[in-house]
Amino acid sequence: MIAKTIDQTMTFATMVAAKQGWKLNPDEDFTRSLVEGLTTNWNRYGYFLCPCRDTEGSREADAKVICPCAPSWTDVQERGHCYCALYLDPAFAASGKTPASIPDRRSQF
Amino acid sequence: MLDKLDYTSVPGSRADHEITVYALSTCGFCKRALAFLNARGLAYRYVYMDNVPLETKTEAKKALKERFKDDVAFPFAVIDGERHLVGFIEPDWKKTLGLE
Repeated sequence: MIAKTIDQTMTFATMVAAKQGWKLNPDEDFTRSLVEGLTTNWNRYGYFLCPCRDTEGSREADAKVICPCAPSWTDVQERGHCYCALYLDPAFAASGKTPASIPDRRSQF
Repeated sequence: MLDKLDYTSVPGSRADHEITVYALSTCGFCKRALAFLNARGLAYRYVYMDNVPLETKTEAKKALKERFKDDVAFPFAVIDGERHLVGFIEPDWKKTLGLE
């Protein structure tokens, strides 16, 4: 496994957001901390485990919570942001609201 | 089982409650939760569960789930050994900690 840098992970997150029509969280410090967390998880586990989820011990067990996680499309649409709040719905981002924790719906996917 | 974890104690000017936070070092909402406690001068202890060996961590999460009859997500805060908070929603933390 080749380790990733924070800049490489930021590129990944930026590309995911662009492809899905989402916005990265405009709180730059918060987003930076999440990208650092994603980088840490890549370098620990070899995949982008969601920074706000704990590993269950294997890639197979964590499959639904590898970024972008399985519930993220529904969460962004219905809650305005994904579970860790890295990705925001454009309207939510424009509203100036601050994301808060939402329920983990991975079991529904 | 939970007493075996290696907690970090954070002193504060206020010790109104006994607060334990189970957190992830990578999680933005966990950082916000700890910053919230720091900003209010509340004493607490925390442990980053992602730094705990898998077997120990699995037992700890099972113990929390059984004790509080709730799914474990992070941050997971235990207040006075009786009440708990899952996730960081600031109004909920204020209310539970009597900060309103």
